[in-house]
Amino acid sequence: MATLVTTVTETLRYRGKIGQWSWVLHRVTGLGTVLFLVLHIIDTSWAAFYPDLYAEAIAEYQSPLFTLGEFALIACVVYHAFNGLRVTLLDYKPEWWAYQQRAAAIVFGATTIVLIPTFGFMLSHVADFYGEDPDLVSVGDIIETQSQFVIGFVAIIAAALILSALYGLVSRSRSGFVLPGRLEAAMWLFMRLSGVLILPLVFGHLGMMHVIQGVFDITGGGIEVVGTDIVNDSGKAVEFVGARWDMLVAGVAIWRVYDALLLALVVIHGFNGLRTVINDYALQPLINRALNWAVVFGAIALIVLGTAALLEGVDETAYDIAVDINETTASAAY
Amino acid sequence: MRVTMRIRRFNPEKDQKPYWADYTLDQVEPNDRVLELLHRVKWEQDGTLSFRRSCAHGVCGSDGMRINGVNRLACKVLVNALDSGDHVKIQIEPMLGLHVIKDLIVDMEPFFEHYRSVMPYFVNDDPLPEDGRERLQSPANRAQFDDTTKCILCACCTTSCPSFWANGDYVGPAAIVQAHRFIYDSRDNAAAERLKVLREPDGVWRCRTIFNCTSACPREIEVTRAIAEVKAAMRRGVKHPDPE
Repeated sequence: MATLVTTVTETLRYRGKIGQWSWVLHRVTGLGTVLFLVLHIIDTSWAAFYPDLYAEAIAEYQSPLFTLGEFALIACVVYHAFNGLRVTLLDYKPEWWAYQQRAAAIVFGATTIVLIPTFGFMLSHVADFYGEDPDLVSVGDIIETQSQFVIGFVAIIAAALILSALYGLVSRSRSGFVLPGRLEAAMWLFMRLSGVLILPLVFGHLGMMHVIQGVFDITGGGIEVVGTDIVNDSGKAVEFVGARWDMLVAGVAIWRVYDALLLALVVIHGFNGLRTVINDYALQPLINRALNWAVVFGAIALIVLGTAALLEGVDETAYDIAVDINETTASAAY
Repeated sequence: MRVTMRIRRFNPEKDQKPYWADYTLDQVEPNDRVLELLHRVKWEQDGTLSFRRSCAHGVCGSDGMRINGVNRLACKVLVNALDSGDHVKIQIEPMLGLHVIKDLIVDMEPFFEHYRSVMPYFVNDDPLPEDGRERLQSPANRAQFDDTTKCILCACCTTSCPSFWANGDYVGPAAIVQAHRFIYDSRDNAAAERLKVLREPDGVWRCRTIFNCTSACPREIEVTRAIAEVKAAMRRGVKHPDPE
């Protein structure tokens, strides 16, 4: 067995073919997407619970740093989706193995073909936004806000490490975190199934929120909110979210159902992917247990938080508070 | 042609850590095998160079090593398959993921332990057929596991696998290939026991469909395909083309 450092450096040094690089990219793009997923679910829940914070988060998403991140995110999601399909196909049609290299090349090609027009639309949103000489959040402010997430992650992992150490002392357990019984096989199956289900959902989501309307349109006053017939009069981010969640088709809040499905599938898929990576590289029992607990806790917490936000919705009081706070800050500024 | 051999050397009795050593050979023929070049280094320049080889004809599987970044058998690779020109450079190092005993020799015991864990032998306690002779099998049923009978246990596949590098407890492609050979044999009765071993966390689910094993195999076994078929056997059982 090689050490963690050797494993990583040798993965880059071994002259595997396109399959090896597809796997490396699959991991990197998956991890990148999960990182944003966590921020995104927490931020969006603020639309229901802390509207003033939500406005700040959207302002940060409209800054150049996050615009770069948004392009990277879209690239990650598109590549991960296509390569995931390739892996799933080969899992179910092992006899097609001879086409795997060609399939990997097609994945790169398809990703590029999808990304070119997508980036074109996204760039047009960026150009529109900067054409109006916008107020930008400073990098210092972004670092200040986002560092709170980093502190949060570190705190959760530290807590998990302490709990895991205590558990190790009490139980004298020498093994890491092991899924009971046939759950490992079930999760393997879930990754393939959920991947296929997520594909149309996430492409729809990206299409609406990044291509048809970008993050800059969330604060666009007088714009009809994508996927609804409701106009965002105030140009406040919370009203945008409220419009989507309150849009009823035949009495059903379709975008809440859509978001709930996406939330559950993507969180479990993403966090199980994270668990897979952890179990590949964090083998020391204490650390392995701690990170796995953090993953289980994180997945449950995000699903609970997201569901709570979807059930709560953006209510009138929250919206009023948002308006008040914005007016207060606006008047304070002058 | 002239060849410079860049070889990863390590003698645990003398060296703190492994190092690269260069050996230049002249009058090399393009169709010389890498194993012959290793012999020339050992016989003409440095007798302390250590590596394994037995049959030297790609059958015994003892000279698996990483040649120019990829796992191969030194006895099956010709110089002209690596590079051409007046001066060729060849880089040789031990397989990764197994403990280096000396130079290019690695400790194969963990590899064989994984091999033994999947019960790589025929299991059938049913009484013999009435004529007391062999258990017959249709050609279609035989064809199911034909590919996985070719394995020579050289470890090129297992030590090309990033999952195995990261975690030596992973049973590895070679052991799964061996398991496939018996799981898909219609005459064998122990498929369930083998699948039980491979269902463990360090079993077949650690395969990430990377295909390094398939490209490394000197016997051209469709390794990743065999692994996927074992995964399929776990989901929906083993089916044979002809009833026996």
